[in-house]
Parts: sequence; C-alpha cells; structure tokens
Amino acid sequence: MGQLVVNGLALGSIYALVALGLLLIFNTVQIVNFAQGQLLMLGAFIGISGAVTHELPVAMAWAATMVAMALIGIVFMVLVYFPLRGRPPFLVILTTIAMGIVLENLALIIWGPLPVSLPSPVRGPPLRFAGIVISMHQLFIFATLAVILLLQYLMLTKTRFGILMQATAQDLHTARLVGIPVNRTIAVAFAFGAMLSGVAGLLVAPIFLAEPTMGGSLGLKGFVVSVIGGFGNLPGAVIGGLFLGLIETFGARYISSNFRDAYAFIVMIGVLVAWPRGLFGEKSSEKV
Amino acid sequence: MFFSSPKMLMTGTAIVGLCALMAREAKAELAACPASIPLGLTTPLTGNLALLGTQARNGAEFAVDEINAAGGIGGKKLALTTEDTGASSTDALNAMNRVLDSKPLVIMGSMISPHVFAQNDAVAKSETPFVVGATNAKVTSQGNKWLFRTHVHDGQLAELIPEYLVKTLNKSKPGIMAVADDYGLGASKGIQAALTELKVSPVAVTSYAPSDKDMSAQLLEMKDKGADSLILFGRPADITLVLKQMGDLGIKLPVIGNTSIVAQTTLNNLSAAEADGGYAIGGMIPQTSSDAKIVDWTKRVQAKYKVPADNFTVSYYDSIYLLKSLIEKVGCDKAAIRDGLAATKDWAGMLVSYQADAKGDLAHTLGIYRNKGKTPELVGNIKEKGF
Repeated sequence: MGQLVVNGLALGSIYALVALGLLLIFNTVQIVNFAQGQLLMLGAFIGISGAVTHELPVAMAWAATMVAMALIGIVFMVLVYFPLRGRPPFLVILTTIAMGIVLENLALIIWGPLPVSLPSPVRGPPLRFAGIVISMHQLFIFATLAVILLLQYLMLTKTRFGILMQATAQDLHTARLVGIPVNRTIAVAFAFGAMLSGVAGLLVAPIFLAEPTMGGSLGLKGFVVSVIGGFGNLPGAVIGGLFLGLIETFGARYISSNFRDAYAFIVMIGVLVAWPRGLFGEKSSEKV
Repeated sequence: MFFSSPKMLMTGTAIVGLCALMAREAKAELAACPASIPLGLTTPLTGNLALLGTQARNGAEFAVDEINAAGGIGGKKLALTTEDTGASSTDALNAMNRVLDSKPLVIMGSMISPHVFAQNDAVAKSETPFVVGATNAKVTSQGNKWLFRTHVHDGQLAELIPEYLVKTLNKSKPGIMAVADDYGLGASKGIQAALTELKVSPVAVTSYAPSDKDMSAQLLEMKDKGADSLILFGRPADITLVLKQMGDLGIKLPVIGNTSIVAQTTLNNLSAAEADGGYAIGGMIPQTSSDAKIVDWTKRVQAKYKVPADNFTVSYYDSIYLLKSLIEKVGCDKAAIRDGLAATKDWAGMLVSYQADAKGDLAHTLGIYRNKGKTPELVGNIKEKGF
C-alpha cells in the first residue's frame, strides 16, 4: 500500500509538472498548448544529447537544455501563436496539435526511434523503511515540483512581471493601451512554459526513457490534471496531478490494469460533473 | 578419373546437359524481368512502432543494397519502394494502396498484425506474393494463398514459453504481464491456455497500455500474490521499463518472455543486474552468434543504420534473399514466385532454415535465450512439432 502511494505520487508529480508549463502559457494567452508533451520530449532528448552524446556534466547538460528550451519556446510562439493571434482560439489549439506531430517526426529524424536513458542528477542508494522503497530520483522529483510550484506562484502573484502576465491574459488590447510590453510578456511566458516542459523531460528521461512518442500521453495527462484542478489554478493542477497519479496506480493494482488510461478521463468527467470549473476553478477566477 | 565406365560417362553427360538446359531456361525467365525489379515494403517508420518497423526496413534494405552492389539478379537491379504505415491500420491500408500503385513483383508487409489484417484483401485482389513478419498466429489462416510469413508467430511462443517455464525452470506460480494491444493480449490468452494444459494457474494476469510508463502497480500485484516467476510480453521500450522498475522495487523474479527481453535495444538501457537472468524464446537474434560472418554482418548493420539488428532485421533480410533465389529460378512471374514460396524446403537463411507449411508459415525454429549480465546467450534452438 505504502509503495503504491509513493509511486502514485511520483507519477502524479510528473503530470503536475507538465500541467504547470501548460498553465503558464494558458494564464498569459488563454491558449491550451497541446504540444506541451512534445516540448517535454524535446527537453529530454536535448538533455541526452548533452549528457550522453557529448558527455557534458549533468548540471551543464541541464543548463544547456534550459537555454535551448527557452529559445524553442520563443520559436514556437513565433511559428504557432503570432500568425494566428486574434483568430478563433480553436485554430491556435489545432495548430499546437499539428506542431506536436511535427515535433515528434522531427525528433524521429534527428534522434531516431531508439529509446534512450538519461543519467539522474542525483545518485545514491534508495531510502527503505517499512518495506517501502523511495529512490533518490523520486525524492528529487518531489523536491523539484515543490520548488517550481512555489517559484511560479510567487512570480505570478508577487512580482510585477506576474501581474503583467495576468493583465495580458485578461485583455490583450487594453494591456497594450496601458503600455504593457505585450509581445515581450508573451514571449517570456512561452519561454518559461517550454523550460518547465524541459524540466519535466529531464526528470522523466532517467526513469521512463526518452523516445520520440513519449510526450503524447504525458501531454494529455497534463491537460487532464489541469482540468481536474480547475484550469488556470496552479495549486489545483498540482493536487490534480498527484490525485490522478494515485488513482491510476491504485486503479491498476486493485481494479484492472487494462483500463489504466481510462481512469484519467473517468475522473475528469466525474470532477466536471460535480464541479464544472474543476476542483479549484472558482477561486482562480476570483483572483484574476 | 571421375567416370570409370561408359555408362557413368553417359549419365554424367546427361546431368550436365540437363543443368545447362535449366540454366538457359532460368536465364530466359530472367530476361523477361523488367530492367529494375520492383519490390514493395510497408512498415511503421513513425509513431510508437517506429523502432520495430525501422529494424525490419533495415534488414530488407540492407539485403537489397547487397544484392544490387553484387550486380543484381542476372544483371537486373532490385528497386525497393518503402511506404510508412505509421501506427494505424487505416494508414497501413493507405500505404499498401500506394505500394500497389507501383506494381510491385512482391510485397513485404509489416510485422504488426492489425496492419496485415487490414491490407490482406487489397493484396489478395492484386494477386501479388505478400511476405510478412506479423506475429499473430491467425495471419496465415485468412485463406490468402498469396500470403507467407518468414517470422515465428505467437501461437508457437504461447505453447513453448509456458512449457519451458514449467518443465525446465520448474516454476508453478507465474504472473503474466503483457502489452495491451493485439500482440500482447493475443499472446497472453495463448499463454493462459497453454498453462491450463500444463495444469498451472497464473497468480495474476495483468497488462499495460503501449504508452504506459509506470508498471509498478502490476509488479506489486505479482509480489503481493506470491508469483514465483513472471511471463512478460512486450516491446523493447516497455520491457526495459518493467525490468528497471523490478530492480527499483527490489522484486527479484525469474522473467521469461519474447525476444524483447534479450534485444540489444533493451539491454542498452539496463544495468547488468537488471538484465541478468532474463529468458526469452522467439525469433532468431544475431547478437548471440559467434560465426565471424554474422558478427561482421551485425556490425555493418549497426554502423549503417545506428540501430541494432534484431529478429525482424534477420527475418526481412532472409526474405529478400529467399525471393532472390526464387526469381533466379522462375523469373518475374508472380504465380511462379508464390508457388516457389509455398514449396520452400530447407532453404538456409542467416541463422535458421525455412520450410513452408500448408498455411504459408516458413519459420519453425525458435531460439531460447538467456541474459548473462547484459550479454544475451543462445541456450538452444527448439523446433515446432512436426519440423
């Protein structure tokens, strides 16, 4: 039982990290980026190129990945968001789906179909107590999620830049009229969003391996937990992620492993029926 | 002196004359072939099955390149048209229609069974020999006399894996874990039926979706229910995760399953401790051979494609050479090639011999492998009953 809780929370933390990147972009431009999972995959492969192919120290590979992901986020914005800005949101959303497919195929061409592993930045024997095993990497995932949630929350609510992002999200034209550098704000949001996906990719690759199609399912789960938590709400996304990780793990153990993916959508539908704005949706809309 | 009597001299002369006549006929048949002999291949090169498809494509393409570099077949070069099926059966049918437009002499199909089921009618209507590696046992039971398989199938594995586990490894409480698609679930059902025949009940039967990354719940179920072994059926990426997660959770069970357990792509991402002791039964992999030619071939394939050769690489490579030998004999007549495939007997491939049965299955020899650390070893071969 205890082991299932640990593994469920570790899986849920990954979902939550994907959701945090998704929400950073959503909270600025009100667009759901369905290529977030593929950005995660790019982060994993760029990290592997640095740490495995070019044998850089893991810390340096992580830093290089962050820089690369920030640039990729900006390029993504220029290619996907800017040309369609002001058009119906579903057009942009469809374009992000198409971009996800392009990124998958691009990765297949660049890195090939082989699954590859990335060394974890933390080493050491796992912790063991009462028959429960917690690996150092799992602890690192929990810690990273906590730090990123805190930093993102503080940035959005306590910094001037966070206020600008929220103002841009609320009304882009008015924000521009009052002198907010809208394009720069959006560019930073895309850069940070891609960097968060990169972090998730770097955390996933040591335990789940990296392969070109790895992002599709994780991106979708990131979307599901965002909906469960109340779209736009950061703590909600994290709680939704951890909740879904536990539901999937316990469902696979005690109900049936055949329907593991279905649990995510059953839970999402159930939450939306009971709370149409998600578990914490209303609070978020009041704050904005 | 070769001929010690006039009678023997006459017999010898007759044999030489017959051979010369046959060679002339074969040359005449080859002359009717187009300058470039068209072959088709449909295989997944994108999506989550891209690794398997790429490995099969590499085998076929490598053989075609070798044959063409050596002058082709009677001076005629092979032209291989490859179409990507992606991961969906609809795309597989579209890919097949594109291949059929190029009027191929022979088509090599996917190793993914649902793709072959979707393509079967279109190929049968075109009356083109169809050589596949798809592993669902029912692939060759569709009544298509143009369809042949050069890879072992799940029906063979489903019988042999439980038998080896129970009779040789002396295990009686296995758990079963399989990828939840046509391949894994089909094998899982067959394994359960074979275990019943052996009067053994699995303590747990589980599966995981092809996109799943965390199999810890299923593994903990095996542990909680007291499994003494694990029968594992999946693809290299997910088998790697299962073996890694067993190591992380400290679950030490003898594992037996399909060749993904000993595939180089799996072993590359495992530690020696995680890989050690895993058994596999299935198609032939080249990494265990000590034959210098095969070792060299394996290195050349790896160097050219940066992807290790696997059982499908071997099977598709052999298939092209088998077709070459038939075209040399009967020329470019589709019906004659089909008849030649159906009459295949003891044709020596890279690692095993091929022999056609009434259904069109040509592969009847399976390898038993065991990982010693990260190195796969061939324990021995098993032949299907009757071969």
